[in-house]
Amino acid sequence: MKENIVIVGGGIAGLEAAAQLLDLGFKPIIIEKSDHLGGHVADWNCLFPDMSPAKDIVSSLIARSADANIFLNTEISFVNKLKDSYNIMLSNGISIITRILLMTTGFSLFDAHRKEEYGYGIYDQVMTNKDLEHWFNTGDDKRINNSAMNAVGFVHCVGSRDEKAKNSQCSKVCCITAIKQAIELKQKFPDAMIYCFYMDLRMFGKKYEDFYINAQRDYGIRFIRGRVSEVGENIDGRVIVKAEDTLSGKPVKVTLDLLVLMAGMVCNPDSTKVANMASLPVDSDGFLKSKDNVADIIESPKEGVFYAGACTGPKTVPETLAEARAAALKIYLYIKGLE
Amino acid sequence: MKLYDELLKDYRAKEGLKTCINCGTCTAICPAAEFYKYDPRKVMDIVQSRDEEEIEKLLKSDFIWYCGECMSCVTRCPRKNGPGLVIMALRNLSARLGYFTFSEKGRQLYPLTKILTGNILNYGYCVYPDTFKWEDHKESGPVWKWHLEHIGDTMARLGANFKGEGPGVLRKIPQKSLDELKSIFDVTGGTERIEAVNKFSKAKAEEMGMDMDEYFRETFEHTSEGHLNSED
Amino acid sequence: MIYQGKQKIWADYQKEIPDNHWFYVRSCIRQNFFPGAEKMFMEICRDLLKKDIFETENHTTCGGIAYHCDTIPQETVMTIVARQFALMTEAGYENYVASCITSFGNYIEILETWKEFPELETRIRELLWKACRREFNKPKYVAHASDLVYKYRNEIAARAKYRLVNRFTGEPLRGVEHIGCHYAKMFPARGIGGAEYPYVLCGMIESWGGNVIDYPERRHCCGYGFRQYHVKANRGYSLSNTHKKFESMEPYHPDFILTNCPGCPYFMDRWQYVIAETEGKTYGENGYGIPVLTYEELASLVLGYNPWDIGLQLHQVAVEPLLDKIGIEYDPAEKYKGLNEKEIMRPELPGVLRCC
Repeated sequence: MKENIVIVGGGIAGLEAAAQLLDLGFKPIIIEKSDHLGGHVADWNCLFPDMSPAKDIVSSLIARSADANIFLNTEISFVNKLKDSYNIMLSNGISIITRILLMTTGFSLFDAHRKEEYGYGIYDQVMTNKDLEHWFNTGDDKRINNSAMNAVGFVHCVGSRDEKAKNSQCSKVCCITAIKQAIELKQKFPDAMIYCFYMDLRMFGKKYEDFYINAQRDYGIRFIRGRVSEVGENIDGRVIVKAEDTLSGKPVKVTLDLLVLMAGMVCNPDSTKVANMASLPVDSDGFLKSKDNVADIIESPKEGVFYAGACTGPKTVPETLAEARAAALKIYLYIKGLE
Repeated sequence: MKLYDELLKDYRAKEGLKTCINCGTCTAICPAAEFYKYDPRKVMDIVQSRDEEEIEKLLKSDFIWYCGECMSCVTRCPRKNGPGLVIMALRNLSARLGYFTFSEKGRQLYPLTKILTGNILNYGYCVYPDTFKWEDHKESGPVWKWHLEHIGDTMARLGANFKGEGPGVLRKIPQKSLDELKSIFDVTGGTERIEAVNKFSKAKAEEMGMDMDEYFRETFEHTSEGHLNSED
Repeated sequence: MIYQGKQKIWADYQKEIPDNHWFYVRSCIRQNFFPGAEKMFMEICRDLLKKDIFETENHTTCGGIAYHCDTIPQETVMTIVARQFALMTEAGYENYVASCITSFGNYIEILETWKEFPELETRIRELLWKACRREFNKPKYVAHASDLVYKYRNEIAARAKYRLVNRFTGEPLRGVEHIGCHYAKMFPARGIGGAEYPYVLCGMIESWGGNVIDYPERRHCCGYGFRQYHVKANRGYSLSNTHKKFESMEPYHPDFILTNCPGCPYFMDRWQYVIAETEGKTYGENGYGIPVLTYEELASLVLGYNPWDIGLQLHQVAVEPLLDKIGIEYDPAEKYKGLNEKEIMRPELPGVLRCC
């Protein structure tokens, strides 16, 4: 079938949708601004709840979508609305006329520098969840000293559920990611004391609660119900973290060799840019606005424009994949309806 | 009259209490929470509960008087609350209703009012050498004692205009300006507040069997056991 | 510590401070404890840098301390402030500079509150008219006096006689900065450098040749706490918070502490004396304390003013070790004299804290 389908974003949502559409007989076009496919998941090491290697999932998705037309290092320069289609001009000079636009623009990781009180980029021993995954992948990060890892802290909700940071949404995956990363670190440094500072533990997904139980029972990870208020640096370069243990009602101060900030998901500014070009509405949380947040999450209010994955709000990997498949089916039926 | 409604008439309560999630960010860095048996998060939680009985207890307790109003909590709250502002509104209401005399720390409002509003209305300053006695402030050190004993000379050396006409350091504030301050107190409820604090304090002093000088010394100087974290 | 990380934040929180024509209001606490600091502000800004800084004898306290001791209602403090604004308006000024941090915070809080609740501003205008028959314009710009000295820091450096360098070692002196809580904790965007890593004092220290030390309790309050100090029974609060800061900065061996708040230098100076006398512990070298300075005092020192003309004799912690490190010449015999070398008695010496 020669219907043009433009998929904006080559992360896991875009790849999964492309693979499904290929199976359905289409030849979708993937536009990816970076030089590689797989999005954020490609930067990750292992995925909860079964610790499956992220690279396996990404490479399988890339293999399944290999027959799509893929433009890497390519951005959308502008979008013109024609009568019943869109003219999409790419940064490489190519222009595409399409009746179908699938937004799989995903999210951005919250810039942890913006929580100034946590000292990311200022205090030596502060890193993000993403930095830690990078270390899991490469073993290369000078913040992690294999001989001196006695105490490590994880700060939940960094840039999530935070009106000051202008992100009131819960990023959904950080609670379980923190527990996953805490366990992984504990496996590497069995003598280290590991703390998770949380406001609420949102263990909503399959086997998440089991993960939490493991973390407590098998790994002795300490959960402190209090949001970190301030981080400082000691004379020896270690970080000092202040929170209230709200369950006992006592301020706590711990000195740590490493602090990991669970940077949350925020709307991708590139996503907003494309949305503006295509006159797509943005929801009050900054993410793309669906036709209906219950019944039609993958549909935009615009004819022929669909969504999948975290461009409409924080999602887990399985949720994103499910939406991508649903979007592919929706597109298939939409095209059928046009004929 | 509902205490919660009264409280919410205060702009500081409106500004300070949006929605609290009990995350403890405020308490974690609160100078008062470290020193006193105090937890600003709990104050927020009680006010948010709208439980009249609990709010009344709060207004009559030492708890609301532990805060130092440094406002460090305001910087950090993820929900844009200001526990310090809510405390100010609670104290304001406690003062108005006379509930402050129910607690030891609350009763300190009497000496505070006497010293600070006295300084403002008499001199135009919040702090003034004539009333900042070394005997009441021995921590100010021998250098302050010396400064006060030779204040004409020490101030002159430093180019101050102590009690002088015209502008400058510790100048005499013209009587007309002091009259304006008094007038401001009269029309804005400042005078009424002073009178209320005095009235409730007098009643309490009587109940405690003290004259007002004794009551002043007692409330200014005395602290009972049990306020501090270190006293567990 | 990654210095570039701080520079990035500092770049985000710069203020466009007007260069000239200021209406100046004084600080209650500073006039009592550091009278030389305010005199030097005028001398440096007005006489040396030729800026137009106007003061009227009719301005009063802003009421901030009484307000934060909960002794006056919000309407009262707002109307006192409105009167100050009226004096500014009548004098033909639009830029307002406050010597006090409590005042600065008070002005900003009031202006922000009026922005959010305009009906309150209307009411205060009525109250001011009723009480004083005055009207006011809101200032175009409200600065803290340290913002101005920060703005002029390089001009001061260009005229400096001394630099903040240890003349014995050639190393930059190590300064700890302490920012008054009400400078930026309520409204971070109103402070140079923001609330977490304020730059206002760092900028001065760096411009004048020193190094700034960060330490874990840098952001902690000095412990004033308003009613926690003014009531004798509560002063343990104040002492214990200052103590905490000193314990935290001790390992870094700072040569001096620089402050921009009225109360902080007083508390950090005097509680060192109390800690020395009660615990026998001193935080400086050889039994001395760590000198605590206001920004005007430090500016005056680098500009070469006589330490006793700027009021350093009113500090309980001896400043001489710092003067010696910078290489500032001074006459010890002149320290406690009155005007025109008038002989007046000397203060008693503390028992433990070493003083000169």
